[in-house]
Amino acid sequence: MPSNIEKCYQCGQCTSVCPMGEQEQTYKIRKFLQMEKLGIENEESIMTPFIFYCTTCYRCQDNCPQGVNIVDGVLEIRANAVHEGKMLDAHKKVAQMLMDYGHAVPNNTAGREKRLQLGLAEMPSTAQGSDDHLDEIRTLLHLTGFDRLIADEMPDMKVNEGLTLTKAGFDQPIAEESA
Amino acid sequence: MSELSLFLGCVAPNRYPGIEAATKKTFSKLAIELDDLLGASCCPAPGVFRSFDEETWLTLASRNIALSEKLDDDVLTICNGCYSTLKEAGDTLKKDPKLKETVNRNLIEIGHEFKGNHDVRHVIEYLYQDIGIERIKEMISKPLDLKVAVHYGCHLIRPLKEDGSELVNGNISFFDELVQATGATSVDYEDKMLCCGAGGGARTAILEATLKMTEKKLHNMADAQVDCIVNACPFCHLQFDSGQQDVNSRFRKNYSIPVLHYTQLLGLAMGYSADELGIGMNTTSTADLIKKIKD
Repeated sequence: MPSNIEKCYQCGQCTSVCPMGEQEQTYKIRKFLQMEKLGIENEESIMTPFIFYCTTCYRCQDNCPQGVNIVDGVLEIRANAVHEGKMLDAHKKVAQMLMDYGHAVPNNTAGREKRLQLGLAEMPSTAQGSDDHLDEIRTLLHLTGFDRLIADEMPDMKVNEGLTLTKAGFDQPIAEESA
Repeated sequence: MSELSLFLGCVAPNRYPGIEAATKKTFSKLAIELDDLLGASCCPAPGVFRSFDEETWLTLASRNIALSEKLDDDVLTICNGCYSTLKEAGDTLKKDPKLKETVNRNLIEIGHEFKGNHDVRHVIEYLYQDIGIERIKEMISKPLDLKVAVHYGCHLIRPLKEDGSELVNGNISFFDELVQATGATSVDYEDKMLCCGAGGGARTAILEATLKMTEKKLHNMADAQVDCIVNACPFCHLQFDSGQQDVNSRFRKNYSIPVLHYTQLLGLAMGYSADELGIGMNTTSTADLIKKIKD
């Protein structure tokens, strides 16, 4: 659903009910919506990384007197940030898991042992255990450009993660060069 | 003939396989066949991948649904995140022929097609709406004398709201009723509908802040003196179980509340042992709970 943040009149109800805002004072959803509305997000952004703090609990949206699809707005702001090369390092790793295993949380040694103890197959019947299915997923991720979205961020992640993350630091997104 | 395929997701089969085992056992007891969904991927996770790139999110989600459509099945999810992704992606594509065409242009390259002729279900609303409380009560051989903190989880409620379900009109009680059907008591506690803290990619990005939310929730549950937490989502399960130990070590707390997925609670009430349901495999000890059930 496209967001409708232009309907926001800045009452602040969203921030007042936000459980993340209660814990992290830097996460101010009302302020981020206004910045997005006015288009004042820029390279010196204060929205990233904080826009990624939202747990998408929808409490703000449920309490908005204007019926703003606030979480959809957050997702749009995030998507724009990601496409400008501002994906968080921790999220890049999750994205790479999807590319490598077809799963954000792939199976591991402890998982396999537990499965066997329960009388389940060592590997679940999911994509991770099948090269053919993994090929399908990687083909789709290539067709949608997701592989390039990730690759732009961290060309050498597997070779030398530390070096890459330093070079392609948060404030100097490589994506800017290709934009 | 089966009408449902079991969508496993990531966390249940790979971190808490007891939830997979419990789902298969309880459905077998209910005489409902579940097809395996061979080759299913990450749903993909709503908070993370949906906010990276919507086309990628829709495309992978529609592949998972298409796998189920090939079996002429509805999809059964055991995770709120998977439910949110698959239900909302499926409904979006059903309503938007242009988007559906875009997604199918990609899917056809790998021999699949999203038709949009099946639905996505969550185990909790499925048990409540299609099986019913009375039938579940009939299947209980070992009523549980437990005080339970029910945790619905945000992404069980949201897709139902989007769908206009009457389950979420006014006072929400369907999950509590399912818990009570096992003989257990669903205990009210402060801010019951509060998020566990994990969703939206926040656990990955800022673990410490998410644990503060979890701590608030654990505090309210402990105040209500419950025997266990019962959830409907392996990711909430992870945050309450593994996260509980992180909360204890980081914030110098001493919480010890066992965590069960509803299918595990139902399995106990149907007479399966805690071992068969993987209940002893949690990070936070379940020993006292298991002892209480045996006594």
